[in-house]
Amino acid sequence: MNTGTANKDNLQGPHMGHDKDPVLQVRELTVAFNLPQGRAEILEGVSFDLYPNEILALVGETGSGKSVTAKSLLHLIPGRNCEIRGRVLFEREDLLSLPKKMLQAIRGDKISMVFQNPKSSINPIFTLGEQFHRLIRLYLPHRIAQVKLKMGCTRKQAVQIIAKEKLHEVGLTDTERMLKLYAAEVSGGMAQRYRIALALVSAPEILIADEATSALDVTVQAHILKLMKDLCTTKKTAILFITHDLGIAAQICNRVAVMYAGRIVETADTKTIFKNPLHPYTRGLLKAVPKLGKNESLAFIPGIVPDLVNPPKGCRFFCRCDHAMDRCRDQKPKSVRVENNHDVSCFLYHPDHTDKKEIPNETAPD
Amino acid sequence: MAVQTDSFADMALQVKKDHRKMKWFQFQRLLRRKTALLSLIILILALLAALFAPVIAPYPDQGMGAVNLEHRLKAPGSHYALGTDIYGRDMVSRVVFGARISLFGGICIVICAAVIGVPLGLWAGYNEGISGAVISRTVELFLSFPSTLIAMAISILIGAGWSTAIIALIIPWWPWYTRLVQAEVLSIKQTLFVEAAQMLGYGKIYIIFRHLLPNVMTPVMVMILLDLGPAIITIGLLSFIGLGTQPPMADWGLMVWEGAPNILSEWWISVVPGCAMFIVVIAFNIFGDALKDILDTSG
Amino acid sequence: MKPPLIELEKVNTWFPGSKTILGKPRSWIKAVSDVSLNIIAGECLGLVGESGCGKSTLGRTVLRIAPLHSGEIRFLGDPIGTLSSKELKPYRSKMQMVFQDPKASLNPKMTIFDILKEALVLNTRVEKHAYLEQAVELLHLVDLRSEHIYRYPHEFSGGQQQRICIARALATDPRFIVFDEATSALDVSVQAQVINLMKNLQNTFNLTYLFISHDLSIMEHVCSRVAVMYAGQIVEIQDSRALFDTPRHPYTKSLKNAVPVADPEESNTLEVLKGEVPKLSDPPSGCHFHPRCNYAQDICKEKSPLKSETGDHSWVRCHFHETLWAQGTLIDN
Repeated sequence: MNTGTANKDNLQGPHMGHDKDPVLQVRELTVAFNLPQGRAEILEGVSFDLYPNEILALVGETGSGKSVTAKSLLHLIPGRNCEIRGRVLFEREDLLSLPKKMLQAIRGDKISMVFQNPKSSINPIFTLGEQFHRLIRLYLPHRIAQVKLKMGCTRKQAVQIIAKEKLHEVGLTDTERMLKLYAAEVSGGMAQRYRIALALVSAPEILIADEATSALDVTVQAHILKLMKDLCTTKKTAILFITHDLGIAAQICNRVAVMYAGRIVETADTKTIFKNPLHPYTRGLLKAVPKLGKNESLAFIPGIVPDLVNPPKGCRFFCRCDHAMDRCRDQKPKSVRVENNHDVSCFLYHPDHTDKKEIPNETAPD
Repeated sequence: MAVQTDSFADMALQVKKDHRKMKWFQFQRLLRRKTALLSLIILILALLAALFAPVIAPYPDQGMGAVNLEHRLKAPGSHYALGTDIYGRDMVSRVVFGARISLFGGICIVICAAVIGVPLGLWAGYNEGISGAVISRTVELFLSFPSTLIAMAISILIGAGWSTAIIALIIPWWPWYTRLVQAEVLSIKQTLFVEAAQMLGYGKIYIIFRHLLPNVMTPVMVMILLDLGPAIITIGLLSFIGLGTQPPMADWGLMVWEGAPNILSEWWISVVPGCAMFIVVIAFNIFGDALKDILDTSG
Repeated sequence: MKPPLIELEKVNTWFPGSKTILGKPRSWIKAVSDVSLNIIAGECLGLVGESGCGKSTLGRTVLRIAPLHSGEIRFLGDPIGTLSSKELKPYRSKMQMVFQDPKASLNPKMTIFDILKEALVLNTRVEKHAYLEQAVELLHLVDLRSEHIYRYPHEFSGGQQQRICIARALATDPRFIVFDEATSALDVSVQAQVINLMKNLQNTFNLTYLFISHDLSIMEHVCSRVAVMYAGQIVEIQDSRALFDTPRHPYTKSLKNAVPVADPEESNTLEVLKGEVPKLSDPPSGCHFHPRCNYAQDICKEKSPLKSETGDHSWVRCHFHETLWAQGTLIDN
C-alpha cells in the first residue's frame, strides 16, 4: 500500500502497510526477580514489534522497566535470581532460548546497544583507536580487503581509512587526534558519538539506545538525536530508543510505546499518541510535561509507583487512576486495538465496556 | 495547632517495633543461609566452651596446666577422648581452656584496634589539614611493615607474655581500621547530607559523630568479624614462637607448637588444637562474609 | 521597586587546578568569573546553563559554601563575602539550599524527625519543647502525613524525599532558598507536585528563590526572571516570558532550540551548536561564546562584552545584541 519513498509515510505500523515484516517481535516478555522481600515481576507480558526503518520510543518513568526490557532482549541481565519468560523473535529465532554462543554472535553484530553513560561503557585502558581498529578487523574483513586492493595500501592503513570513514558518519571530524585519546580524555558528547560509531561498525539491523542522551547536555543531545534520525533514514537501521523524555519521543521517533510499572499501557504512532492519548496514564504524563514557551500550570499524577513485590492485583495503574472502575481492581486489562495501530491496555476501551460516560472526553493537551 | 504528644509516643513505639521487625527479618535471612547458621552455631558453642571451661572440661586442673605424668602421650581413646599431651594433660580440657585465651585475646585485639583506629580515621578523613596528614602518614608507615614483624619486635622489646602479646598486636592492627574508615569518610564527606549539615552551620565534631560515624559502622562491624580469625591466628603465631602465652597456660597456637616435635607419632597433640583454630577462624570468616552480603543488599 | 535581597558584585569563584609541589595553585579553574547580579526580594530567579558552566558553583558561592576568590556578596545590605564560618552562623539559617539528589541529601541513618530537628535547633523562634510539634507542622506544609515522622529516608519515594528536603530547608525560617537542580532527578509525573509546592510556599512565607536547572522548559513554569550562564559568565538576564519569545543573546537562542519539544506537530529544528563546551581552566578570550557563535566577529575574540541594560533588571552581554535585535535574527517567526 504504502511503499513510497517518503519515510514519514512509511511509519504507519502494521496495518497501514509496513512493506516489511517486523525485525524484532517481542511477545509476552515477563521478567521476575527473586528479591529478599519476595518475587517481583519487573516486566509483565510486554509485547511489541520493531519494524525496519523506524525509531520506536519506549517511554517510561523510573521503575517502569524500560531498561530491563532492553537488557532482557539480549539476555544481559545477570544473576540467578532472575527469571525470564516469553519470546523475542529475531530472524525467526527466539533469542531467549538461543544457546549462549549464538546469542553472543548476534549481540554487537546484528543487534547493538548504546548506553546512558558513554564514558563508562568504553574500556578506559585502551585508546579509542585501538578499540575501534580491533572492531573493524573483527567485523569488516571484506571491506579491509576491498580498500587494500583499491588504494594499494597496507592492512593497517586500510583499517585506519575505514575508521576515519565510520567516524565521519557520526559527525566526528578531528579523528586522527581523537583516536589517540583515552575514554577519560574526551567529552561526553564525543564519547557518545564514538560509542555509536562503534555500535554501527557491524552495520547492525537493530540499535538499542538505552537513555543514550540522558546524561548529556541539551545542545549535545541535539547532535545525537539528529544523528540517530539520520541513521534511521540512511542506513535503514531500526532503533529502539529508550527514554523518559517525551520531547525526544515527539521529535525523533515514529512510534511510541508507553510503559508503566512493567507493562506497556499504550502503543501508537507518535502523532496519534500526542494528539489523542487514550490511557489515563499517558494523558496524565503528557499534561505533566513542561513545554517550552507555554506557561500553563503543570499537572501531576497523584500517588506513587506501586511496589512490584506486591503489585495491585488488577491494573497496575489502579491506585493512581481517576477513571478506575471496580473491575480494574482485580482484573488485568488486555491490550485492545482501538484504531489502526493504536493499542491500549485499559478497560475503558474494552468492547464490553458499555458505560461510555466513563471515557474521558477531554481534548488532548497540546 | 495542637499536637497530641501521647499519640506521637505511640507512633514512635509502633515505628520502633516495625524497625525491630525489619532487623529481625534481616537476621532471619542471615540464618536461612545454611553455612552462616552453621558457623554461628560453632561460634556460639566455642564462646560457651570458653566461658564455662571449668565446668565443661573433664579435667579442669589439667586444662589449667597441672601435669599428669602417668598418662603421658595417650592416644585418643575412651578415657581421654582426644588423647593426652607430653605431660599427660587431657587434650579436651587443654583445648577448651585454650579457647579462653585464644578467643578472648582475638576479641580484645580487634575491639581495641577498632576503638583506637575508628576515631582517628574519622578525624583524618574529615580534616585534610596537618592533623589529618600526620595521621595518614603514620598509618602508611605502619602499613608498610609486615604487622607480625612489628608485633614480634614490640613483644621482644616489652617482654614475652599473654598481655604484652596483645598490646604488641594492637599496635600494628589499628591502622587498618583508620585506613578503612578514612576511605569511607572521604566518600561520605562528599555526599549532600554532609553538605546540608555544613550549611546549617554545624561544626566538625558534630558532623563527625552525628553524620559520619553512624554511616561507617556497618563496614567496621564487618571488618571486626572478618579480622577475628586472623587475630586468633596471629596470637597463636606469637605463642608458637614463644613470645605470647607462657606455659603452663596455653592457647591453641602454643599447643600446636608443643606438639610439633612429635607430630609423626603423637599427631593429636598438634592436630586437635590446630583443627579447633581452623574451624573457629573459618566460622568467623563465613559469618562475616554472610553478614556483609546481607547488609550490602538491604541498603 | 523592591530592594535586592542579595547583591553579587564582580564575584569570582576559582578552584585550584594543578598545584606546585609546595601546594600553591599553578592554574585556576574559573568556575564563576566576574558575575554581578541582584536577586530581588520575593522573586524566583532562574539560572540555566549546560553542565560545567558553573551554575551550581554560583549557587554555592552565594551561600558561602564554595570559596569566594574575589568580589563581594551582600545579604540585605550586609557584606557576607569575607565573614568567617562563625560570623556566618546567623546568616546560615536565613539562606538554605535544596539539592538535586534527595536520597543523598538525607542521612540514611537518621529518622525524619532527627533530620528536621537538626535544622529546627537553629530556628530561634522555636522553643525546645516544641520541636516535635513544629516538625509535624513542617511535614504537613510539604503535604506529608504526621505518621511519617519517625520513618527513615529510604522508606520514601523520590518525590517524597525531595519534599522532606524542602521541609528541612524551611525549618530554619529562611528568607532565601537555592534549589540546585531540585526537580531534575524526579519523574515528570511528580515533578509538578514539587514545583507547585515550591510556588505555594513562596507565596505563604514570602520567600526568595534561586532556581538552578539545565532544563530550560521548566524555567518558565517556575521563575519570574531567568539568567543564562555560559562558561562561568552570565550572558543574559530577562523576564522569563520575554526570554523565550525574544532572546537577545545568540547562546540563549541555541539553548532554546536544542530542547526537544514534546509535540510532534511543532517540530523544532534541534539546532546543533558547533564545537564543544570550553574548559573552565582555559576559557576563550573575549566573549567566551565566540568560538561557537554564528554571529561572531573579530571584536568578539578580543574584547569581553559589557553588560548592556535592555530593560528593568534585564541585560545582555553581547557586542552585537543591538544589531541582532534590530534585524530580529534571534526571534522565531
